[in-house]
Amino acid sequence: MQRVLIANRGEIAVRIARACRELGLAPLAIYSEADRTAPHVLAAAAAACVGPAPSRDSYLNIDAILAAARTLGATAVHPGYGFLAENPAFARAVVDSGLIFIGPSADAIAAMGDKTRARQLVSQVGVPVIPAVEDLPADAAAAQRAANDLGYPLLIKAAAGGGGKGMRIVRAEADFGAAREAAAREAAAAFGDGRVFLERYFSRARHVEVQVLADRHGAIVHLGERECSIQRRHQKIIEETPSPGVSPALRARLTAAAIAAARRVDYVSAGTVEFLVTDDGDFFFLEMNTRLQVEHPITEWVSGVDLVQAQLRIAAGESLWLAQDALTPRGHAIECRIYAEDPANGFLPCPGRIALLREPQGAWIRVDSGLAVGGEVTVHYDPMLAKLSAWGADRESARLRLVAALRDYAIVGVTTNVPFLADVLTQDAFVAGTTHTHFLAEHLAGWRPAAARLDEAVIAAVLHQSLAPTGSSTAAATPVAAVSPRHTLGAWRLGSGSR
Amino acid sequence: MHTGYRHGVQHVVAEARREGPGHFRVTVDGVDRMVDATLIDRTTLQLCIDGQTIVAHVVRIGGADHVWVAGEVYVLRPEGVGGSPEHAILAPPQVTAPMPGKVLQVLVETGQRVAAGDGLLILEAMKMEHRITAAANARVRSVQALAGEMVDGGAVLVELEYEDPT
Repeated sequence: MQRVLIANRGEIAVRIARACRELGLAPLAIYSEADRTAPHVLAAAAAACVGPAPSRDSYLNIDAILAAARTLGATAVHPGYGFLAENPAFARAVVDSGLIFIGPSADAIAAMGDKTRARQLVSQVGVPVIPAVEDLPADAAAAQRAANDLGYPLLIKAAAGGGGKGMRIVRAEADFGAAREAAAREAAAAFGDGRVFLERYFSRARHVEVQVLADRHGAIVHLGERECSIQRRHQKIIEETPSPGVSPALRARLTAAAIAAARRVDYVSAGTVEFLVTDDGDFFFLEMNTRLQVEHPITEWVSGVDLVQAQLRIAAGESLWLAQDALTPRGHAIECRIYAEDPANGFLPCPGRIALLREPQGAWIRVDSGLAVGGEVTVHYDPMLAKLSAWGADRESARLRLVAALRDYAIVGVTTNVPFLADVLTQDAFVAGTTHTHFLAEHLAGWRPAAARLDEAVIAAVLHQSLAPTGSSTAAATPVAAVSPRHTLGAWRLGSGSR
Repeated sequence: MHTGYRHGVQHVVAEARREGPGHFRVTVDGVDRMVDATLIDRTTLQLCIDGQTIVAHVVRIGGADHVWVAGEVYVLRPEGVGGSPEHAILAPPQVTAPMPGKVLQVLVETGQRVAAGDGLLILEAMKMEHRITAAANARVRSVQALAGEMVDGGAVLVELEYEDPT
């Protein structure tokens, strides 16, 4: 396994390329026509174009990716996350081409990708699943009885669906009939399939997931949990480990359940088992992500295990070198996802060009970035720009370090969620660790940037106009040394007068 | 020299006078601040404002100064001064599509009053649904968007008539 094709882009492709180089493997990149000079291409030993900008024509194009693997002489393929990472057909095609797939088997991906089958498989080994009515009777009265038996509040979900379409929360018996009809109509319109099913609904639950790592020889360990309750649009934006809501006793039960679930599908490589944890300390299996997770850095912080290196070594056939007893987490880590989006406007993505970038630095600060000055944030891909994470000996020191790093993070040219993240991390409820999946709706609805430093910004703008030559800060800038005398106004010396 | 800036729906007037090498008196909305300023590189300023030192980055993009201070970016659009702030233009009255996408739902109709933050329409783009909202209290002058229609980035979706901020 000498040459690893990274079938991805952005920060995760850069991160995987780094791990490859550290192990003496050659990282190979693919790119769409929009990404020709992107950081992940520059991080690779060789690269090949796989098609035009839209991801269905490039990063989702299995034939083009396999052709690139042949052209570049790849011996293995790392799928990253997103794109084809959880597509069993891709994993199978990679293996059928005689290459190593850095991840689990296509069968394991397929088993966990089918939500109903995954529920059945894990409940066979004693993992609790959310109480549900999977086959809702078509008859209205029978459906009502099934709902009453399940209890309220409950969630109606589209069988074929996702993305919130065909989804309804029902809090009382009287609302069920109308909600079921509306959800079925919406599901039929969106997916061409009006079937719905019911699930118990938990309004103040935490989202807690367990990282597992398994080799090809049947050995499996867990690397603790991650709390990922801070979400917008059902997508995580802040993650931490350990979870402030998980006691040692609950942790033991969660991690045992995660290992049982992974074993059930003969899991290999890094994987994540997601659970919903209620206020009462009950937990339920949500799904298993059969890939590397976006938020894997926080587990790396506290465990000292490089998860991408581990994936590469496991794929090469190495036996697991980690013993569960020796995996004692140290300290606390928090990550936040930096998105090109406007939290004051419905988290709307904000495409644009990066005009200025200053990433925070410092001890126990980590930036996973796929970003460069001049880079274009396009409508074609996910608007996540980077991940910022921090470690601390305890939760509060990790939190303070992360807030300070966010205040140092300068991205100009696209609107980002940086100020919003800092405001989330400084909420009293976050400091107290009382996070749950409706945290943002409860504490930050109607958020607007504080704009508390407007006066200083205006002072900076007006003095920049005086001190810097016209046009000097635009893309086609002239260096400071080329300042025209017309703009320097007599005897000024740049740099004088400061303390 | 006076410079007027618009920040969102806010107006600020500033004036800088040099009082010595790298030393300025800056008046922002009538309040004087003593500032030492050093240009570190073409986009970076070190400022000492009334004894407090900060670093700011300033980049001119499309006619506006994007100023980074302490983790926040302020988009300051220079505007002519002379007219009193009350008569100056508020946020652009034309609400445009921030990117190409499909209009899923139009939430307002002509003549309707909306408050700052109210949803105007829902646009599907980048595989997600986005709620386009009003920047300030306004009246809907016209609705150009049609549910189900594909729109280009920059297409006018709704025209607003902002209410007097006073």
